[in-house]
Amino acid sequence: MSDRTPDRVALLALPALVYMVIVFAIPVMVLIGRSFFGPSGLSVTPYIDFLSDGFNWRVIFNTLRTAALTTLVCLVIGYPTALALSWSKGFVQAIMLVAIILPLSVGVIVKAFAWQIVLRRDGIVASLLMATGVWDEPKLLLFTETGLVLGAANIFLPFMILPIYSVLKLIDPSLQHAAATLGAPPVYRFFRLSLPLAASGIISGCSIVFSLATSMYVIPSLLIGDRYQTLPTLTARAFLLMRNERLGSTTATILLFLTIAIVMLTAWLVRRREVQT
Amino acid sequence: MPDLSGYWLGAVMENSRPLSLDRRNFVVGATALASALAAPSILRAQTRELVVGAASSQKSWSEEIMIPAFEKKHNVKVIFEGTRSLVNLEKMQKNKDKQYLSVVQMDDPVMITAVAEGLLDPITTARVPNAALLKPNLTHMDGMWVNYLQPWVGIAYNTAKVTTPPGSWAEVFDQKFKSRVILPSLQNTEGVLALFIASYLKTGKPMSEAQKDIDSAFAKLVEMKPNVLMSYTQEAQAYNLLEQGEAYLVAGAISSVAMARKSRGAPVELAAPKEGTFSMPSGIALVKGGPQPELAAAYIDMLISAELQSKISAATFALPVNKTVAAPAGLENLIIHPVDWANVSKNRASWVARWDRELSL
Repeated sequence: MSDRTPDRVALLALPALVYMVIVFAIPVMVLIGRSFFGPSGLSVTPYIDFLSDGFNWRVIFNTLRTAALTTLVCLVIGYPTALALSWSKGFVQAIMLVAIILPLSVGVIVKAFAWQIVLRRDGIVASLLMATGVWDEPKLLLFTETGLVLGAANIFLPFMILPIYSVLKLIDPSLQHAAATLGAPPVYRFFRLSLPLAASGIISGCSIVFSLATSMYVIPSLLIGDRYQTLPTLTARAFLLMRNERLGSTTATILLFLTIAIVMLTAWLVRRREVQT
Repeated sequence: MPDLSGYWLGAVMENSRPLSLDRRNFVVGATALASALAAPSILRAQTRELVVGAASSQKSWSEEIMIPAFEKKHNVKVIFEGTRSLVNLEKMQKNKDKQYLSVVQMDDPVMITAVAEGLLDPITTARVPNAALLKPNLTHMDGMWVNYLQPWVGIAYNTAKVTTPPGSWAEVFDQKFKSRVILPSLQNTEGVLALFIASYLKTGKPMSEAQKDIDSAFAKLVEMKPNVLMSYTQEAQAYNLLEQGEAYLVAGAISSVAMARKSRGAPVELAAPKEGTFSMPSGIALVKGGPQPELAAAYIDMLISAELQSKISAATFALPVNKTVAAPAGLENLIIHPVDWANVSKNRASWVARWDRELSL
């Protein structure tokens, strides 16, 4: 009896598995298939054509750079927030959680339009920087990479905070006290104790945000426009405007593999370092 | 939260499959069911109907002005299937043996494809007498389609930021508008028209020739880069920025869109440049083999008649196509230059690719 239990437990994942196969795995297979099979059979010509064009390498670079910067901003803002969240208790913690989760219910288009108001030249950011003397004159933030990264980081921030928080709250606070008692200074405690213990949360937070940021489409469409192409905007246009399914499938497949490769490589590097230390 | 973008832009760009292919069958079925259930409806069952494969952007004046007038005169029910050009084309392709659309509204470039596939019937003055009153250049390919209205592109400006109306396209390139100008993306049809205007400004050639010289168009747009705040694909965003004062000009603004914003109280005005401009492609045609061919011809005839043209033109600020009708006040001297849409269809993709490269940030 007992050796059959794991099988039954696995059955619990069946609905999710069936759902994901139908709505995700099969369409992705079709998409990948379409990029390799043209009217004249199997070929990699679309990939060769795409990758032999220098401009497309810039598009790939744009995509990865924006995603990396967005992830970095989310991490720098998100880690301390997650820490505060794990230290807080009761009412304060409830308020903080609501403040982090509630914005998820606001549509991404609404947020992008809101950023348009915040970032414009007579908006609050420019006014603040002018008032504090950082800027002499209002500068353009909208339709620049800075504006895009700020907007995207705002939208994806909860996906960084929540995984880190879920790990941090499990760490026994007495570890900090023990380390302090043994004479470890705060900086040392942060790098040798807190950070390694939180690594799994940081990795998942970064993976989620990076994946979302490489595939974002509405946010760049509204915050930077079509003068800054990324792989998702090129893919959408290939399908919607050019009606070139082969090109769209090719760029989508490239994006998929790049994102998976980078996320897995990063996780592997971090874990390896963890094992060594 | 997944990026819901595809869903959103997909909906906006109306790339959805034609959902209403079977709408007529549904209507017929529903009518039959209603007759079976309600005996007195036998009298009504004879009501004729005419299905127009329409442009959804033309919905308001169609439903408020055109359709009521037509239904009253011919005692017919008009079914307005508002969608986009490519969907209308697809509906005709799929029902080639048994068309259910009688009249179709599509952009001129899509009309060219429909003509090539033999889906349209020519509009003759015998069937559509008012076609004889059309302005020059508005009857295409020996009457395969005609234009039913001329919405034009001009310069929309924020009245709080720009006090003298820009009278010339050249002003868009003026230094005083540094990073304050919005252009339509080349993905939008009006973006193609803006490209032609750039070529005209660079070369000084007549607009009909300038539209062939795309190298000069790009050269001018690259010069203009410092003035460009952004290029829009979603017009709502462009007007949002204009009305908030982040942008001062939208160069290549569609008259109907800009005037709709103005009529809702936005601080927006539309200038008609002295060099003239282009009109948005707005074609209407008879579907070959479509039901009720006489009614279909009568529909087009009424739409381009003097009476309807003056009403619709006044409501939309577009130029009338009927030469006996005067243009709306202030537009008497606006010149509309014809566009070679066949050339646009052929080269659009390569222009878009070039735009990416030469106008990128």
